[in-house]
Amino acid sequence: MTDEKPSEAEKPEDKKAEAAKPEAAKPEVAKADGAKPADAAKPADAAKPAAPAAAAAPKPAAKAPEPVIPATAGKFEQFLKEHGIPAQRLPLSLEVETIVLSGDVLQAALRLLRNSSEVKLDLLLTISGVDSNDTYDSVYHLWSYSNLDELVIKVLIKKSDVAEGDLPAVPSIANFWSAANWHERETYDLMGIRYANHPYLRRILNPWDWEGYPLRRDYKQLVDCLNDKNPHSMR
Amino acid sequence: MATEIQEIDLKTDEMIINMGPQHPATHGVLRLLLTLDGETVKHVEPVLGHLHRAQEWQGQNRTWFQYQALIDRVDYLSGMFTSWAMARSCEQIDGTVVPPRAEYLRVMVSEMNRITSHLLWLGTYLIDLGAMFGFPFYPFREREKLFDLFEEIAGQRMMFNYIRIGGVLRDPKPEWFDKLKRFLDEFPDRIDEYETIVTQNPIFLKRTKGVGILTQAVAKDYGVTGPCIRSSGIPLDLRRTKPYSVYPELKFDVITFDKEGDTWDRYMARILEMRQSIEIIRQCIDKLPSGDIMGKKQMAGMRIKAGEGFAAVESPRGILGCYVISGGGEKALRFRWRNPSFCNLSVLHELLKGCPLSDIMAIFGSIDVILPDVDR
Repeated sequence: MTDEKPSEAEKPEDKKAEAAKPEAAKPEVAKADGAKPADAAKPADAAKPAAPAAAAAPKPAAKAPEPVIPATAGKFEQFLKEHGIPAQRLPLSLEVETIVLSGDVLQAALRLLRNSSEVKLDLLLTISGVDSNDTYDSVYHLWSYSNLDELVIKVLIKKSDVAEGDLPAVPSIANFWSAANWHERETYDLMGIRYANHPYLRRILNPWDWEGYPLRRDYKQLVDCLNDKNPHSMR
Repeated sequence: MATEIQEIDLKTDEMIINMGPQHPATHGVLRLLLTLDGETVKHVEPVLGHLHRAQEWQGQNRTWFQYQALIDRVDYLSGMFTSWAMARSCEQIDGTVVPPRAEYLRVMVSEMNRITSHLLWLGTYLIDLGAMFGFPFYPFREREKLFDLFEEIAGQRMMFNYIRIGGVLRDPKPEWFDKLKRFLDEFPDRIDEYETIVTQNPIFLKRTKGVGILTQAVAKDYGVTGPCIRSSGIPLDLRRTKPYSVYPELKFDVITFDKEGDTWDRYMARILEMRQSIEIIRQCIDKLPSGDIMGKKQMAGMRIKAGEGFAAVESPRGILGCYVISGGGEKALRFRWRNPSFCNLSVLHELLKGCPLSDIMAIFGSIDVILPDVDR
């Protein structure tokens, strides 16, 4: 701690040279849990003049690994890689681990994460469909009944890979949780992601003859459902 | 001739019957497609969407400030919890520090809201079971008193918009706490009153004991949460298992029954939760610190940093989650609700399989589904 402070105070201009140092030093601070409150208070008081420098430093190096990573970070990514499943961790949130999987390995990964003795992610909270700029994402929030583990899995499908008039496809996980059944139906209904091998994939919130997928960014309502009759409807 | 008749295989057809959407006991508009064999239910398919108001779409097309006011309508019986889930997920992205006084006030109003929600459930559940006269007005009497207290702090009786991103709207006056204490003193006697009428009532026992048993395996499979899963013996209460806000500083235990829960257990879990909420509110009043109540400036052009957040709270019906993706602008890129009613309703066809027609409403009512919360 003592050699950090004067160096920052002496030459606040040398941001790039200093940027590497705090990154290496901070995990050590995080490990020393016993002295945490005293240590954490000191830099907050002393480093106020240097605070803009510290805030500016991560920006140029945004793609580098985060400076402060909690002890559990990367746990599930490691676990999946050990079992030969390619998983990529996203630097989105420090609190909850977010990994990206490809659709082909989703079933195998969930079988491991749900049933293995080390990791027991057996509570499926929700499945969300997200229309990002160039991808359709199917997002899974997994918790555990027995411990505090949390994991967010994203399956990204590039819009350019989806054929004209076709829907992006992701394998269904309704064989693991019956809870997934309705969540997947809802995502299909609102976001237009087709879940392959789903037992009963049909619209759940909108009427069965609704056209289009309302939560997509390019959605336009074809028929004014209050005032016009849908010409394609058989009702 | 007689022997001939006996040898004929009397084939009965299954009958498909529509229950709802305009059914008085479906708490909103839910349509159940029942496949019946005589009086026995073979299969149920809930048909949802009659109350679909595109709440997630509105989240993407309203500013943060506007949408805050709207989300109380997602689950109109527990608006505090929907506000809280949204506020927590936005604070998670923004890194807003909520002042401790605001956190205590949030816990207090939420527990009050839990009581009002369970009170309405109790009244309407007894109507579902056929106690049409008299009883429903007992819980409504106490509910009104709590609504008066809500009205004083939020200006609204049901659509509070009280918990805001960064804190709470208004600091209650000292008299308000006196009124609340007076209510808390008399309320346990009122719960005794309900229990005298209901708990050991032979008709009630006959309708609920051993009916609609929810096993732990089925509950986990369908992601059931809230009092339903706790009465089946799984101690999943976010206030304890994943403590948030100031719950770690408060003393209370998770209410579970150590067996597979039937309809009566789900009733009892809610009664005990109301008693528990009283104790939590009392502790909050004692511990309430002084200080600021808002950690973020409230204005129409409010912005949230770019990022993703997921926050969950323990609502009267279960785990209520809010998944927000912000692009750093005035509106969200995506709002996604994880509604407890939606997930709890999906287990209905498992509970109803093989039960008689008359038990449908006893079982459906006991999982406490709010249809606006299902359809959003």
